[in-house]
Amino acid sequence: MATIAHPVPASEEPRRPNIATADVQLPAVKDYEQVDREIVATLHPTVAWFIGLGVAVFFLILGAAAWMYQIYTGLGVAGYNPPVMWGVYIITFVFWVGIGHAGTLISAILYLFRAGFRTTIYRCAEAMTVFAVMTAGLFPILHLGRPWKFFWLIPYPNWRYLWPQFKSPLVWDVFAILTYLTVSSTFLYIGLIPDIAVLRDREGISPIRKRIFSILALGWRNTDREWRHFARAYLFLAAFSTPLVLSVHSVVSFDFAMALTPGWHTTIFPPYFVAGAIFSGIGMVFTIIIPLRKWFGLKHYVTINHLDAAAKLCLFTSLVVGCAYMVEWFVAWYSGNQVEKDFFANRIWGQWWWASVILYTCNMILPLSLFWQKLRRSPTWLFILSFFINIGMWFERFVIVIPSLSHEFEPWQWTSYRPTWVDYAILAGSFGWFSMWFLLFIKQLPVIAISEVKEIIPPKLRRTRQHGIAAAGGHLPGEHP
Amino acid sequence: MRGVLGAFREIDAAVEAIEALKRDKLGDIRVFSPTPRHELEHAIDAPPSPVRRYTLIGGLAGLTFGYWIAIWASDYWPLVVGGKAVASWIPYTIFGFEVMVLVGALSTVAGLFISSRVPRLTMMVGYDPRFSHGDYGVWVECTPERAAAAEDVLRAAGAVEVRRER
Repeated sequence: MATIAHPVPASEEPRRPNIATADVQLPAVKDYEQVDREIVATLHPTVAWFIGLGVAVFFLILGAAAWMYQIYTGLGVAGYNPPVMWGVYIITFVFWVGIGHAGTLISAILYLFRAGFRTTIYRCAEAMTVFAVMTAGLFPILHLGRPWKFFWLIPYPNWRYLWPQFKSPLVWDVFAILTYLTVSSTFLYIGLIPDIAVLRDREGISPIRKRIFSILALGWRNTDREWRHFARAYLFLAAFSTPLVLSVHSVVSFDFAMALTPGWHTTIFPPYFVAGAIFSGIGMVFTIIIPLRKWFGLKHYVTINHLDAAAKLCLFTSLVVGCAYMVEWFVAWYSGNQVEKDFFANRIWGQWWWASVILYTCNMILPLSLFWQKLRRSPTWLFILSFFINIGMWFERFVIVIPSLSHEFEPWQWTSYRPTWVDYAILAGSFGWFSMWFLLFIKQLPVIAISEVKEIIPPKLRRTRQHGIAAAGGHLPGEHP
Repeated sequence: MRGVLGAFREIDAAVEAIEALKRDKLGDIRVFSPTPRHELEHAIDAPPSPVRRYTLIGGLAGLTFGYWIAIWASDYWPLVVGGKAVASWIPYTIFGFEVMVLVGALSTVAGLFISSRVPRLTMMVGYDPRFSHGDYGVWVECTPERAAAAEDVLRAAGAVEVRRER
């Protein structure tokens, strides 16, 4: 719901492109009919889309085949090297959970903060959240020796009278991830209902699709009563989602912080993880939204101003993450704990120096380029940078997981770790799984929220006012804006 | 349900129609709009949504259940470690919080559905697909005797189409 957006009066001076409120303007979108026509047009499948879907399914099958091989052969094929018993699966789990966070940040937190630039990008980010959490949820199961027993983590009445250990971070994770998946899916679907009603009501739609959309739209009729309750419910869902964003990755960070392992047992982990999650998610939003706006011809919806505003958010979270990295070093030094100091020395100058270089370059140094407005407003650079951020954030989790486990307290525990082809195949499969769902989504449902975009388009007016009411956002004189 | 429906292209015309219908007390008004607009909201002047009550009750129920399930299960099968508390409120706050969010959010959705009366199998009398695209609809529920007056008001306000429905 973008009721917060108020286009500027025509009498004002033309705005400079980097002024914060300018990002809500869509000067090339004239009326509601254009919004319906252009956004609905993105739903037609193309050859490129089918090719993309084929590639995604190929990687998914590759990952599924590797998992089947692992189930048949045993977890030993996954490259674990005791005591490094957390590897690519846990790294990738944290990576995908983190990716999901930007979606909720953009759709919920920026909604509460009245940030207008979210309007045209939040749907994409929200769908990304749901599919990323669906992907993340697979990895703890993949990590289990007997994955078919995963439901033992869920508290349910059973004949053995056994209940999960509620003091275990693993059980906290189950609650946090399932809650996050449920709430973010609900948030996505509730926001979609008015748009599905638009799809249901358009002409020329096949009877089968019309029937499906009719069911999904739940008989939505756009009445004042529906909108009133919708606005209130949406606000509360956003209010619930906001602390959820902060809590979920905090809970994920407890998986590490609760352990007495060098590099993990620190109170900085919850905010450090949350900032990193949002940073990585914004990187993935760029990876997705920049090609989409080009292929779907939506550059006048997702404008350079929107990208500029999102890039500022990216820069801010990068600085927070960079600060967290430095605080980690400081804490290790200031603690006076020799094991902790040795561990950090090994992480940066020891066997994992190359991973640390990738991490710091991608997450701290390259995003500094966004201080330049020219680069913030360059979709090409943002797209390239987003790849570096994705890689850097995967390696951040690598650097958290592997160096700690391979360099614990005693020298006999010191070892190395090398992922196997099974790890790589399942990692690729996770991208295939995520991409498949996302590609299916973008051709079935609108990637831009139709009803919210209409809120920032001046409505048709019968009377032409002297002061250009249409340009003033369509608010009648004397009425609440 | 009997009444008159007026379809409008312009929002100010719809607002004018709503105000005139309310002034003349011709019947209950229902407005269709492709997107929520403050202009329409203020013209209708509806009471606050009751969804917040569902949210509050659901959130409190979830909070209680989250703490209860963890405490009850710990007491049912105690794992005593080093004399520490069997039920520890600090980690159990995670369950209290997560279940509060889960049940609170689902209750909010239930509140939305109940208050909005969705899902519904049939479309309301007077609904027109154009109201989800760009036009505004003003439906006034009234007896046949007052329908003519309502039609006049809607036409005077600038309705592009006025029709009686039942």
